[in-house]
Amino acid sequence: MKLKHSLAAAGLALVLASGAFARDAALDLVEPLAEYKVYVTEKTEKLETDVAAFTAAVKAGEIDKAKALFAPSRMSYEAIEPIAELFGDLDASIDSRADDHEGGEANPDFIGFHRIEYALWVKSSTEGLAPVADKLLADVKELRTRIAGLTFPPEKVVGGAAALMEEVAATKISGEEDRYSHTDLWDFRANFDGSRKIVELVRPLIAKKEATFLKTVDANFERIDTILSKYKQGEGYVSYEKLTDGDRKALSAAVNTLAEDLSKLRGKLGLD
Amino acid sequence: MGEPGHSRRALLKGVGGLVAACPFAASVARAEPHVTDAPLANHASQDDRTPFYGARQAGVVTPRPAHGMVASFAVVADDADALEALFRRLTERIAFLTAGGPVPVLDPKLPPADSGLLGPVARPDGLTVTVALGASLFDDRPWLRPLKPKRLTRMTRFPNDALNADLCHGDLTLQICANSQDATIHALRDIIKSIPDQLILSWKQEGAVPVVAPGPDGTAESARNFLGFRDGSANPDSRDEALMDRVVWVGAGDGEPDWATGGSYQAVRIIRNFVERWDRTPLGEQERIMGRSKMTGAPLDKLSASEFVGPDYAQDRDGRLTPLDSHIRLANPRDAKSDANLILRRPFNYSNGVTRSGQLDQGLLFICYQADLDAGFISVQRRLDGEPLEEYVKPVGGGYFYVLPGVETPSDHLGRALVAAAREPRDG
Ligand code: HEM
Ligand SMILES: [Cu+2]
Repeated sequence: MKLKHSLAAAGLALVLASGAFARDAALDLVEPLAEYKVYVTEKTEKLETDVAAFTAAVKAGEIDKAKALFAPSRMSYEAIEPIAELFGDLDASIDSRADDHEGGEANPDFIGFHRIEYALWVKSSTEGLAPVADKLLADVKELRTRIAGLTFPPEKVVGGAAALMEEVAATKISGEEDRYSHTDLWDFRANFDGSRKIVELVRPLIAKKEATFLKTVDANFERIDTILSKYKQGEGYVSYEKLTDGDRKALSAAVNTLAEDLSKLRGKLGLD
Repeated sequence: MGEPGHSRRALLKGVGGLVAACPFAASVARAEPHVTDAPLANHASQDDRTPFYGARQAGVVTPRPAHGMVASFAVVADDADALEALFRRLTERIAFLTAGGPVPVLDPKLPPADSGLLGPVARPDGLTVTVALGASLFDDRPWLRPLKPKRLTRMTRFPNDALNADLCHGDLTLQICANSQDATIHALRDIIKSIPDQLILSWKQEGAVPVVAPGPDGTAESARNFLGFRDGSANPDSRDEALMDRVVWVGAGDGEPDWATGGSYQAVRIIRNFVERWDRTPLGEQERIMGRSKMTGAPLDKLSASEFVGPDYAQDRDGRLTPLDSHIRLANPRDAKSDANLILRRPFNYSNGVTRSGQLDQGLLFICYQADLDAGFISVQRRLDGEPLEEYVKPVGGGYFYVLPGVETPSDHLGRALVAAAREPRDG
């Protein structure tokens, strides 16, 4: 609680100093933005802790343990992708996929989460992974430092709710993100939570004026919750391959509709 | 065929009379083009409007404009209310898009209402959007299953097919046709944006018909497909209403569910052409494979005749002139029985890119319409199975669909009769 308040104050100061957004919305958004910074900060802390444990297991050659830690340690990253992606260099080394690199998996530039995922699930080996693991942890630490010093651009934060849905709609619903481990449903959960968090933070500002809009958005988030809950297993989710065709379509429809609706969120808050 | 009234030639002759008398012959002759007539150079206008309202949907017997596509969707609709909502929204969008008009202007802080591909006023550009339903829409919904058209099935493999599951079937197709590619894409993007919660795109294939210049008598030759042959010469005449009622449209006495009257079966096939290999095949062999002259489209037994003259197989029983296994002879042996197997073809050529083997990925987006899918496409394709043309073509996708009856008035909507029937209590 204490931490939260001090951070909120820091965020407020930063935001006011930046003066980067519309006059009317400005004061209104100060609080949601500060709270979002708290949320992101907590996520990056958790990310660092989780990745430290994950990479330690990788370096120790504990394949089963590393496999078990892979999906949960990604979740904090996936939830804050709109902010994490502001640092393109880090996003590329933390979360790029094989097809982002010429030659795919064989390319030495293919590092980060998915390189380790490939080794664990396809190669069943951690051989030669130590430098990749070290780099991932270092990148995550660097991300935390950079985020701490960042003034959150309001349009990126508010736009992030839609951006997360666009990501899922464009390149995740196909199951291509976690193609070796099929742990995509964990990522989805985090993407949806990250998007919904943003909606929750700005809700008070538009609750009266946009009641119908919010009702539709809520209904679609709930639709997603219902589908995902069917695939829950322990702390996480079953393999993405278990998703039925019907549920994949229902998920697709809800994600596309959320992307469409949330694309209006910035405008509804008066942001350019 | 051969019976008078079935062929395009009879009507074209009539047109010839007008040509002599009228100085504006060219436009008069084109007043009522035939479904497979090639689009004429410089004739299309962005203001061309194909009426949306009518007992039957547009885009079936409507002459092909220069561009067409088929887009296939999965449908989200768990009950009759949801299905009705989908049909109403589709109707509303198609009615707007085919009539054209200014697109709404919104606060610039919001995403624009329209993709803007056609500018501030979306002009209709000859647009048609034809809605058809796949077997899975019925099969996957117990409350809709009893209403499935009798002959609607999931397309099954023919011997030469190499079907790519990502290009097959679907709950609902839109056949979108217009004078320009932009107008078809504008319509597709509008519908995707308008109905994201009920329509999920599964696949699409675009194609085009080459635009041709009319001859001195105002008539046009059939457009060529990517094998370089005229395509459409022997199509049944779409201006002959009685013929279309028999060949294309499902009528009240056809044994189909009541709601289906005024609809039609749509068969879609994405057929890749091995064009490099075709271009390395002797001309004489190409013509024997197709059964027509390549340059003129004339039947092989009347080489100086026009493409619209049919072959006379009775005089060529052993296939000396038109080989017995040529495409057109197998597709339509023109005997007493084969008259029951007529189909209305409405294809577009497609050109997609390059295959992994470094060959052109080109072919035919084959679309045909018929009142009876079994007697029509399926029977014709069965006769074609094993034809010599197979060495040069490979069907990779498509499916069977049922074209909904039309929307008669602005207060009506697509699928109204189907939804009403789905709401009726049924026994068992
Ligand atoms: C890439 C594949 C195909 C090509 C290149 C092709 C080409 C042609 C050509 C050049 C003609 C002669 C001109 C005309 O009458 O239109 C023709 C006729 C015809 N084709 Fe095809 N075709 C293809 C596939 C099919 C398929 C899949 C069917 C139906 C199952 C079909 C049914 C017919 C019929 C019924 C005729 C008219 C025969 C007649 O009445 O004389 N074609 N086709
Ligand atoms: Cu990601």
